[in-house]
Amino acid sequence: MKRSSHIALVLMGTSPLLLTACSRESADEGLYTSAQACIEQTNDSYSCNQAFEQAQREYAQAAPQYATREECVAAHGADQCQVVRQQQGSSIFMPMMAGYIMGRMLSGNRVSGLAGTPAFRDRAGGFQRPVAGANGVYRAGSLGRPAMAPVQMAANQKPTASRGGFGGQGSQRSSGG
Amino acid sequence: MRRLPLAERPNWRQRADECGFAFHTIGGEPYWDETHCYAFTLAQIEEDIEAPTEKLHDMALDLVDDVLRDESLLRQLDIPAAYWDWIAESWRRRDPHLYGRMDLAYAGRGPAKLLELNYDTPTSLFEAAFFQWQWLDDHMAAGTFPLATDQFNSIYESLVEAFGTIAKDLQRPLYFAAVRDSAEDQGTIDYLRDCAVQAGIECAAIAIEDIGVTDDGRYTDLDDRAIGTLCKLYPLEDLFREPFGQYLPSAGMQLLEPPWKAVLSNKGILPLLWQRHHGHPNLLEAHFDDGNGPLPPGWVRKPLHSREGANVRIHLPDGRSEEAAGPYAGPQIRQAFHPLPRFGDDNVVLGSWVVGDRACGIGLRADRSVITRDSARFIPHVILADDGGVFEA
Repeated sequence: MKRSSHIALVLMGTSPLLLTACSRESADEGLYTSAQACIEQTNDSYSCNQAFEQAQREYAQAAPQYATREECVAAHGADQCQVVRQQQGSSIFMPMMAGYIMGRMLSGNRVSGLAGTPAFRDRAGGFQRPVAGANGVYRAGSLGRPAMAPVQMAANQKPTASRGGFGGQGSQRSSGG
Repeated sequence: MRRLPLAERPNWRQRADECGFAFHTIGGEPYWDETHCYAFTLAQIEEDIEAPTEKLHDMALDLVDDVLRDESLLRQLDIPAAYWDWIAESWRRRDPHLYGRMDLAYAGRGPAKLLELNYDTPTSLFEAAFFQWQWLDDHMAAGTFPLATDQFNSIYESLVEAFGTIAKDLQRPLYFAAVRDSAEDQGTIDYLRDCAVQAGIECAAIAIEDIGVTDDGRYTDLDDRAIGTLCKLYPLEDLFREPFGQYLPSAGMQLLEPPWKAVLSNKGILPLLWQRHHGHPNLLEAHFDDGNGPLPPGWVRKPLHSREGANVRIHLPDGRSEEAAGPYAGPQIRQAFHPLPRFGDDNVVLGSWVVGDRACGIGLRADRSVITRDSARFIPHVILADDGGVFEA
């Protein structure tokens, strides 16, 4: 999607507005520490493997980079950091891919879209992920660092099977205000 | 890129009222126009607009450094000498920036051509980020477009994310300011503040006219509190030349957009880009112009600081001339004329948004005249498969 998934106003207009993208598709996301763990939870080996490979491909772009091992360890923990030699001969430090997030767009039972994003350990042993694409809105190295956000979901869980079991009355009112 | 006729939403004026979009009609003339829209393919968006926008953005940022090291360039850009050190210091600190819009000439094929950068006070933000999004959503809900129809428009998400990223680098208190009596500017600055609040930033609003100055040269709000950061929808070059401008370098007030944007919000950037990237497919030939000689056919003359097309003069290749009235004088540039795509009576210019350092959306403006002026209407867009088979109007 090239379009915001939702839009909202809190100050403008007559009342607070929250609009969610109009879509009959549903999305689920899961955090897995390996493709095997993903398959065990979802029974979807094709998606698990594809998403894992995509996450691996994105790793070099998406992983935070540090000038020193100390900085990397401070952000991700001692056993997470590896040295990467640059073409110019210098070295940088990057956390290893500690897991990946598989996002599936589901139209009914059919998978209509698939995404794999690498996840990294944070200092406290939780997981974090790059925000909005590889580098957030600010490009690394020029004017900022890649933005990372904590991953709230637990690793290797069964995905949500359905939504919407509550709140059916509320959805008949306009959320547009 | 196709033009698709479309029924207006019967309730669109009510929708505009609900979200505080007060300037959809300006002086009795429509500004928001949803009697039709433009459809792009995903390849057109990603290959011809998104990627070149980011490339041009990088090229422009690379130029800031060169300009700030070279007094002759600062003079050529007509930036007052009293502000040079202050601007250079803001660049050295990498004072955070938020956004910009570049205007492109693009007809659906071939390289998009950069007409100019609006990197200090870009407008048409709310209508692009919010009302255009809601327009498509309403049409999908009504079945005019299939539910999977897309739009190049993550401007809102990018703004909230960008504010969240720079929040820690903005001095407090943070004020949003625009000219009091401009409905369009007030609407745009309100929208920026709305996005900042959604990013969790506490902030307030003040009319640019209400800002005060203390005896020791600090800027204050209406309660005489010092302003930490001013997010302003007001041209930097006007601040420089107004009576309170003299305090800018010493007042300690942070600006958003930051002072270094003075280099990019200046049409002198166009010849400088051309000098450094001669023949680049997304650039039009451009030169500094003393304004004395006649303007040859096939060239456009623009003042360094003109906005909304004012004082732009076009000498068309066929010999006809067009000129827009306006208040801008001073140094000028000339740029090779490149026609905008014409659909019916409309000349359509494409505004490509950069938030943070990421290309994140577009808004189209259509004008009967060859020069896109403040009268240009805003036309929404969609992304559709190029066969058009999914469209049922």
